[in-house]
Amino acid sequence: MNLVRSEWTKLLTTKVGFWLLLVGCLMAGGFTALFTALAGAQNGLPPVGSAAFSQTIAGVPAQVTVITLVLGVIGMTQEYRHRTATPTFLASPHRGRVVVAKLLAYAVAGLVVAVAVVAVTAAVAGVYGGARGAAPDWSGDALGVLARSGLALVVYAVIGVGIGALVRNQVGAVVGALVYLFVVEPIIGSIPATSSAYEYLPGGALAAMTAADRGTELLGAWQGGLLLLGYGLVAAVLGTVLAVRRDVV
Amino acid sequence: MTAVDSLSFSVEPGQVTGFLGPNGAGKTTTLRMALGLITPDRGTTTIGGTPYAALTDPTRHVGAVLETAFHPGRTGRDHLRVYCRAAGLPGARADEVLAQVGLTPAGKRKAGNYSLGMRQRLGLATALLGDPQVLVLDEPANGLDPEGIQWLRGFLRHLAHDQGRTVLISSHLLAEVEQTADRVVIVGAGKLVREGTLDELRDESAGTVLVRTPAADQLAAALAGPDVVVETTAPGALTITGLTTDEVGHRAFTAGVELHELRARTSGLEEVYFRLTSGAEQYAAAPGSAS
Repeated sequence: MNLVRSEWTKLLTTKVGFWLLLVGCLMAGGFTALFTALAGAQNGLPPVGSAAFSQTIAGVPAQVTVITLVLGVIGMTQEYRHRTATPTFLASPHRGRVVVAKLLAYAVAGLVVAVAVVAVTAAVAGVYGGARGAAPDWSGDALGVLARSGLALVVYAVIGVGIGALVRNQVGAVVGALVYLFVVEPIIGSIPATSSAYEYLPGGALAAMTAADRGTELLGAWQGGLLLLGYGLVAAVLGTVLAVRRDVV
Repeated sequence: MTAVDSLSFSVEPGQVTGFLGPNGAGKTTTLRMALGLITPDRGTTTIGGTPYAALTDPTRHVGAVLETAFHPGRTGRDHLRVYCRAAGLPGARADEVLAQVGLTPAGKRKAGNYSLGMRQRLGLATALLGDPQVLVLDEPANGLDPEGIQWLRGFLRHLAHDQGRTVLISSHLLAEVEQTADRVVIVGAGKLVREGTLDELRDESAGTVLVRTPAADQLAAALAGPDVVVETTAPGALTITGLTTDEVGHRAFTAGVELHELRARTSGLEEVYFRLTSGAEQYAAAPGSAS
């Protein structure tokens, strides 16, 4: 528990967490405003007041998972980048415990980001949607989608820590994760021969977790969430065994 | 590559021990192995009989200054608070150690803007957080100005002599630890070269005799003995260790050897250290164990 609190102190005494939170909120607010402004059949988006509109807005937080992913990656890799791995592992020679503390600390940090992002999304959609005719209706499926979108932000923070433990190099881990998310996975998903594997990949799992009405090619929402969490934990365990235990010179 | 090979020595409380060796001799690797940061292929290092990784609350037993390692965007005080938290220490310790190393005025500034000397002080403050009985410092004088070095010497001596702590400082310069250390452990190429008090080392530096003679071989034979080392330093010039000038002169006279020069040389500690670490064969002690 001391180690978890130590991680929070680390996070709160540098500016990166604050900036990522700010950017995440701005992105979510911006996307929400865009979806609301362009709502209507003529733009190919569901019109305000429809159930589909509510669900589209509810999925917005899942669009900024890259923020908590980067937060988690930096949380782990900064120890190597700034060589603070030395005092950190001196304070806790059990390196596995350090990784577990980071997973817990960044899950909570991810939750804070999630609450803020969901709040901004709901507020912007409520005010702007209301001005355009109707605020989203959170009474139906949309509320569940919104909650799971927020939860995806938490899971991505955990995945970030796992990737960071595995890769250790901050730039490599961030760039690698972004290339995977925005280049590799879309390609895999677009090729018919490999697209059947997509549902088991992180992107497919995220889609399963937050999709309002999923096709047969996606897993169930909770399966998707657990699969995502599994990816993060497997990366963290592999990272601990293969990378974090290596000599710190 | 083997950086450290069968190195064995011990460090005692109440003393400052200097850990000396040229760059690349394996000092940092040894210290990192002792602190559980590097896993040795063979062997163990213990602190009061317990390996570092098995210590409960290790920072309360051992404080280490290995390199300047902090997040540049974090203030010095916040850096210390992070490690207070990790060790379960009250946050007030951060301010106490800042004062101890004279860094209070800079505590609220970002560590990235610190001078090299201030970074060393912050590293020392981090090591002192847990009020440890054992302090390990790797090249602590690097980057300190003369005033800082003076302060560090006094501070480390106070910790060892007045408070009975165990202090181990590594350095590649003998002069740096000469006024601080009570004992030295000298390594070269990953092996133990010499372990002893500075006084013992000084005695060693006193016993060299220089001789010039046209009959070097004859004199060398006459001088040979169990504790005598004769080196040919130049054609017709011998350096003798283990005999006084009186003894050398007497033996030369008895053997009928003509001498052109006979003088005692009191070489400095620095020279002894240099000889020890530059691979003079007769000094390369077997990698024995000392407890």
